[in-house]
Amino acid sequence: MTSDKARYWLLALPALAVMAIFYIWPLVNIWAISVTEPVPGFGNYVQGAESQAVTTSFVITFRVAALTTVFCVILGYICAYAIANTIRRAKPLLIALVLLPFWVSVLIRSFSWIVLLGRSGIVNDALRDVGVIERPLRLMHNEFGVVLAMVHVMLPFAVLPLLANMRGISPAYTDAARGLGASELTAFRLVYLPQTLPGIGSAALLVFVLSLGFYITPALLGGGRVLMVSEYITYQIQEFLNWGLGSALSVALLVATALVLVIAGRFLNLKNALLERS
Amino acid sequence: MSAPEARTTPFRIAMSTGGWLVAAFLALPILVVIPVSLTDTSYIGLPKESLSLQHYEAYFTSARWLGGTLGSILVGLAVAFFATVLGTAFSIGVWFLGGRAATIARWVLIVPILVPPVVQSLGFYRFWVQLGLIDTWTGVILAHTLLALPYVSISVFAALANLDPKLPQAARSLGASIWRTVWEVVVPAARPGMITGAVFAFIVSFDEIVGVLFITVRRVETLPKLIWEGIQDNIDPTIAAVATILVVISLIVAVISGLRRS
Amino acid sequence: MSHDNDFKRDLAEIAAHKLREGRITKRGFLQAMAALGVIPMAGLGGRAMAAPSELVIVNWGGTAADVIKEVLGDTYKEATGIDVVIDGSGPSAGRIRAMVESGAVVWDVCDSGPGSAIILGEAGVTEPMNYDIIDRTKMMEGTDWEYGAGNYVYSYVLAYNPKLSEGGVPTSWADVFDTKNFPGMRTFRKAVRGMLECATMAQGVPLAEVYDVLSTEDGIDAAIEQFRKIRENVIVWGSGSESQNLFLQEEVVMGNIWSTRAHLLKDEMDEGTFAVSFDGGVMSPGTWVVPKGNPAGAEEAMKFIAFAQDPALQVKWFELIGSAPINPAAAPLVPESMSRWNPTSPENVATQILYNDEWYAANQIAAEEKYVNALIN
Repeated sequence: MTSDKARYWLLALPALAVMAIFYIWPLVNIWAISVTEPVPGFGNYVQGAESQAVTTSFVITFRVAALTTVFCVILGYICAYAIANTIRRAKPLLIALVLLPFWVSVLIRSFSWIVLLGRSGIVNDALRDVGVIERPLRLMHNEFGVVLAMVHVMLPFAVLPLLANMRGISPAYTDAARGLGASELTAFRLVYLPQTLPGIGSAALLVFVLSLGFYITPALLGGGRVLMVSEYITYQIQEFLNWGLGSALSVALLVATALVLVIAGRFLNLKNALLERS
Repeated sequence: MSAPEARTTPFRIAMSTGGWLVAAFLALPILVVIPVSLTDTSYIGLPKESLSLQHYEAYFTSARWLGGTLGSILVGLAVAFFATVLGTAFSIGVWFLGGRAATIARWVLIVPILVPPVVQSLGFYRFWVQLGLIDTWTGVILAHTLLALPYVSISVFAALANLDPKLPQAARSLGASIWRTVWEVVVPAARPGMITGAVFAFIVSFDEIVGVLFITVRRVETLPKLIWEGIQDNIDPTIAAVATILVVISLIVAVISGLRRS
Repeated sequence: MSHDNDFKRDLAEIAAHKLREGRITKRGFLQAMAALGVIPMAGLGGRAMAAPSELVIVNWGGTAADVIKEVLGDTYKEATGIDVVIDGSGPSAGRIRAMVESGAVVWDVCDSGPGSAIILGEAGVTEPMNYDIIDRTKMMEGTDWEYGAGNYVYSYVLAYNPKLSEGGVPTSWADVFDTKNFPGMRTFRKAVRGMLECATMAQGVPLAEVYDVLSTEDGIDAAIEQFRKIRENVIVWGSGSESQNLFLQEEVVMGNIWSTRAHLLKDEMDEGTFAVSFDGGVMSPGTWVVPKGNPAGAEEAMKFIAFAQDPALQVKWFELIGSAPINPAAAPLVPESMSRWNPTSPENVATQILYNDEWYAANQIAAEEKYVNALIN
């Protein structure tokens, strides 16, 4: 039996080894760089903590991630609810529409938003043509545009865990509440909603964690004034070759992400939320 | 639940409408690239006077765009292969093992999902420099395989959840070797997960941009890299044509996979 | 580091744009060069020696590699028989250094900047320029660095759209920073390079004193404060084409952009919707640098650099993509109609200042942080 066990490990080992050598080790290296370049010590962290721009960038990052999460959970909840409970015949179509963005790369989707939201973009043109506005609205190069596009990217990540959660809820409880005379809204609020809290938690966690490190959409739609940490890191490295500070910021972002997971782990079954999703 | 009254309550109508609106919000913006790709102008916008295929022509006659596309496809296939092989072996191993160590191992393998792309790309860059893998196809395939492994291992493990642990035990007790058991009993059960995993791995690689921006210079060009440069440096409708092609392919694949499922 | 990688990338991209429009054709260009005497002139030197088979010139422009090859590469090939390979991957100081330190040098001549040239020279990873081969008299004064030779000039200029400008035409940087009398959006660069100068001039500081004022903490803070005041009216540009798009799509009324982009916009925008002022512009030279241990040998690299000094070639280069001749002898050769747009015409040089790399080396990082903070906070 022990030899069997060794053989099972033999199966698991190649992937683990590759991951450890080529992924985990380089990450550890980043940490090492942050305390050795340009001089050994915690200078980079001190510099980062004292820099107003860095602090602001972290605030922006958390704010954008939080806004994205709130919108994704609300919209994702409505959508998942419709799929799980109210839409019947067209359900496959609705699911297909929700999953469609998954198939299209984030890059292409960001490009679509640029085409839509520009000052002479399609939305502004249409609004002007029908006479709603005289001057074009500012729809991108600001936080609004970034959050909008990020919600678009993250929304499917919110719908799926919510849907999985709702599918496991028996209608019997809500029906029973209704039978006892509760209004539909009351039944939803007191009976259904509490049962979906785990789904809400997983959805929020997933969206928030992915949003924290998001790079592509803010870089393309933020116009430089919505400077999230990931963009700030690339900025340090590409513009200033400042690997020390860039690495320190990376470590900080990584730690922030880990903290979010640890805190979430107190309220959520992380294993269900992350490991078991499919 | 089936009472006709239930279907028409304001609450349900609101939820249904909301659901459709959300779905529209998800799907419609993606489709905007289609009319733009047919524009007769040289800048991004809706067609002015007539529809034109000039931007498709620009794509199909550009060695660079086509080279990048081919590069992305080949990398994606290689990544799908390596990630599926490694990830499947891994999942089967930990499925047999069970217990705490196996769970920890599974956590290790999904780390790339959680680490911010820019951070892991910095890691790749520094290590790839040491290994001489910068600007090589090998370097890109290796990086993408790492990023794809979580998806393969999750989907294969999910498929194995349906396999009764007694089955391989029975095979063993009938005298089958461990490898034969794995090959003839477990792998077939894992197959749906392997297919899903391979598809995911391909897509992860095909769409990946941040890592490629860091670890490639010039020799290696992938499609996302060309699109990224296009958006950053010179927005022109060729990108819309490329985007449309990708969206249409995605639609077809999505429909096929949807049909197969139902 | 203190120099401008983005600009280089931008330049190559402009070239690509021109090629697409069909304004550059290989044959036409080669003929023009031959007619101007460029090709035969430089031709003799290279062929007589045991010349290397190829020379790798590195610039910044992914898509522009073909164009650069035609403009500099094919002419040189014609002249010397040496193949010129253009690598558009961006020879940042970091990459050059990494390449030399790794021992596998594949680049011969890199399009860099004075700041990088100085840093790389100090790090000992680039060859000193050989001014026996490169002619100092064929470059703007002060651009003959020990480890880098000036190759062309671009300026940061005041660009505006007279049609959209409701408060009248902005005539100075002070107007650009006056959102009350000149409403509308303006665009500045994402990073400080070329930006603090104009904010300083906006406060009435004369040209000659700009960098003196900026050399004090108060001077920097005052300049940054100018941006903070108007930040709600600012859209920043990251790449040159972004600045161009901002004007093309009428997203902004005015701004501080590269002269090379203005060069394109003058043709692309309708009559009366685009203008620039070189008054208070900042001229910025680019430089060639040569990595130590380059495959073709330092001498061959120097010969190429000398080849690119030809005034006729530089004028052609200016006409095609707007980067101005660094060779003073070239200004009179610029066609009359284009002279107004030439950052290095004597009239325009008189109203501008030269980008100060020493200042940037000393202050950029600190200023950058304040600048970013003023814009995003």
